[in-house]
Amino acid sequence: MPFEQLLIEGLAMGACYGLFGLAVVIIYKTSEVMNFAAGEMAMFSTFIVFHLLTFYHCPFWVALLAAIVFAALLGILVQYFFLRPAKNPTLLSLIVITLGVEMLLMGFASWKWGAEQQEFSLPISYMVTYEPIKGFIISQWALAVFIIAAVVMVFLYFFFNRTSLGTAMRATQQNKHAAKIMGINTDRVFAFSWAFSSVIGLIAAVLLTAKTILDPQFMMEPFLKAFAAAVLGGLMSIPGVLIGGAIMGLLENFFGYAWPVWKPITAFIVIVLVLCVRPSGLFAKHWVKKV
Amino acid sequence: MDLKRITRVMLVCLFAVFLFTQAGQAAAERGFDDKEIRIAAWGPQTGPAAPWGAVARGSKLLFDIVNEEGGIHGRKIKFFVRDDQYNPSQTVAAVKELIERYGIFAFVGGVGTACCQSVYKILLDNKIIWISPCSGARSFWDPHNPYLWNIWPTYEDDASILAKFAVEKKKFKKIAMLYNNDDYGLDALDSVKYRLSKYKMELVAALPVEPTERDLSSQVAKLKASGAEAVIGFCAPTQAAIALRTSVSQGFRPQWFHSYNLSDYPLMNKITDGLWSKEAVISSAFFIPSFADHPLINKYRKAQERLAPTERWGIFYQAGIVVGEPLLEAMKKAGKNLSTEAVKKELDSLKNFQGVGPKITWKPNYHKAPRSVQIWQAGPKGENIVLQDWTENEISRH
Repeated sequence: MPFEQLLIEGLAMGACYGLFGLAVVIIYKTSEVMNFAAGEMAMFSTFIVFHLLTFYHCPFWVALLAAIVFAALLGILVQYFFLRPAKNPTLLSLIVITLGVEMLLMGFASWKWGAEQQEFSLPISYMVTYEPIKGFIISQWALAVFIIAAVVMVFLYFFFNRTSLGTAMRATQQNKHAAKIMGINTDRVFAFSWAFSSVIGLIAAVLLTAKTILDPQFMMEPFLKAFAAAVLGGLMSIPGVLIGGAIMGLLENFFGYAWPVWKPITAFIVIVLVLCVRPSGLFAKHWVKKV
Repeated sequence: MDLKRITRVMLVCLFAVFLFTQAGQAAAERGFDDKEIRIAAWGPQTGPAAPWGAVARGSKLLFDIVNEEGGIHGRKIKFFVRDDQYNPSQTVAAVKELIERYGIFAFVGGVGTACCQSVYKILLDNKIIWISPCSGARSFWDPHNPYLWNIWPTYEDDASILAKFAVEKKKFKKIAMLYNNDDYGLDALDSVKYRLSKYKMELVAALPVEPTERDLSSQVAKLKASGAEAVIGFCAPTQAAIALRTSVSQGFRPQWFHSYNLSDYPLMNKITDGLWSKEAVISSAFFIPSFADHPLINKYRKAQERLAPTERWGIFYQAGIVVGEPLLEAMKKAGKNLSTEAVKKELDSLKNFQGVGPKITWKPNYHKAPRSVQIWQAGPKGENIVLQDWTENEISRH
C-alpha cells in the first residue's frame, strides 16, 4: 500500500473539507442555520474569478481579491434578501430557504457560464510535485492547502477569542435576545457571519478547483464531505471542524484504497455514526436547554 | 325542464364532444399535416448532465438546415426540445406531453440510459419512430423493437475493441480498468475481462468510480500500485480528467484508453490543461472526426456558425446530427405520401448509409447499432489522429 501517498493526499483533501466546513460552521455558530447554499455560493464566487481571468484577463491576485469582495457581498445579500424577510421563521424554514438559494445560484451559473467544464488555471499546480523525503511526493497544491488552512485557522482562533465582533458573534449564537439587550446589533452580526462564511467558502472552492474541474456542479460532492467533517468535528467547534476534515480525508483515502466500491458512502457512514453515538461531534460540547 | 335535467343534458353533450374529439384525433395520421412534420427530442438543458444537452440542439441545427432548403417534400419540420434535467420522471412527463398535446411523428436521440429506458414502452406502445438513444446499453436492441433503430455501438463492443488494440497493437501485458459504477462501466468491465480471457490474461486492477466523485486519489494510488502499463477508462469526462491529473501528480504515467464518449478532444484538452494531448490519450470513436475536411462536416460547421453561433461545435453537438440524418433520408425516400409505416419501411432497408456518423445497415428484424469503432489518439495540438480504421468486434456476444 502506498502509505505516504494516501496520507498526504488524504490530509490535503481533508484540509480542504475542513476549510469548507468552516464556512458551514461560522453560520451555524451564529444562527444555528445549516446553510445548504454554501457550496453553490462558493461555486458562484469561483466563477467570478474565472470570469475575470478569462474575459477581462485580470492578473490572478486581482481577480481573487475582487471575488473575495463579491463573495462577502453575496453573503450579505443572501442574508438580507432571503433570510431576513422570513417572518417568524423556524429553523426548518430557514434551511429550506437556503436550499432555494442553492438552486437559484446553480441555475444562474449554468445559464451564465454554461454547464460544461471550464478551463481554469491557477498559480498553484496540482501537477508540480516535490519529493523532500524519498517516497513522500507532495504537490504544490497540497503545500498551499496546508499553509492556507493553518493561516485561516489561526486567524479564526484570534478572531473569535480576541475581537469584540467575534465575541458578539458567539454571544448572538448563545442567546440572540440577551445579545440584543446587551446592545449587540444582531442583524449586523448575522450579515457579517454570512459574508465571512462566503469568503472562506470561496477560498476552499478555489483551492479545490486546482485539483478537480470547474463546472456549476463542482461543489456538490465537496459540500457533502465538508458537512460530514463538520458533523464529525462538532458544528460548534472551529478546530474540531479542521480535525474532522483531516479525519474525513484520511478515512476516505484509506477506506477507498482498501474497499473502493464502498468509498462513496464513507461520508454517509461518518454522519450516521456520529449522529448516533455523539450527536454534538468529537470536539464540541453538547448544550442542553432547560425547559 | 328543471335545472337538474338541463345540467344532465349538458354533461352528456360535453362527454360526447370529448369522446368525439379524442376519436377524431386518433383516427388522423399522427405527427404531420400538409405543412409540417413534428419531430421531438429530450435532453438535459440544465442540471449536472447539461453538457450532453447539446445533442438535442445539434438535431435542431440539422432540421433548421432542412427547413432552409425547403423542407421534406414541401413540409417544414417543426422540432420540439424538452429539458428533462437528466431525470427519468421528467423525461416521462415531457414525452407524454409532446405525444398527447402535439402528436409527434418521430423522436431523435435521447440522452441518458435511464431516461431512455423510462420512455421506451410509451414510445413502443404508441408506435412512434425513435432513432437512436444516445446509449450503448443492451436493453435498447434486445429484445428487438420494430420502432427503435440504434446507432450507438454497444459498450461491450467498444470495450472489447479497445482491449484488443491495447494487447495486440500496443503489446501491453498489464492492463487495469477505471469504470463508472453503473451499466455503462459494468458492461465494459465484463467485456474487457472476456476479451482478455482470450489471451489468457486478467486485469491487474479494476477500480469503480461514481459519476459525482471529485477526488480519485485512492483509485489512482491503487492503479499505480498494480503496476498497470495501460488503463482502460469507462467513465464520464470530469472523472477521466481528474484521474489523468491525479495520475500525473502521483508520477503514474500509463497509456490511457477511453470510450467513445470521451472522443471530444478539444473539450478534454481544455479541461486537463493540455494533458490529454501531452499524455497522448487514446480513445475509440464512431463519428467522422468533428474537424475533418469532409464535405458534410464542412457544410454543418458553416451552418452552425450562421444559425447557432453561440454553440460550440463538438462531438455532442455532432451526435444530434448523427441521429437525425437517417430519419431525413428515410422521409425523403418515403415520398409525398408520408406515413409512419412508409418511413419505417425505408429505415428498415437502409444499407451502408453514412452521414457524419458510422455506416448504418438496418433490416426489418435487425435494428442494432454498428459493431465497429475507430481508434483515435490525441495529437500534440489536440487533434485526433486515426490509429486504426473501422474495426468490428469479432467476438461480439450479440
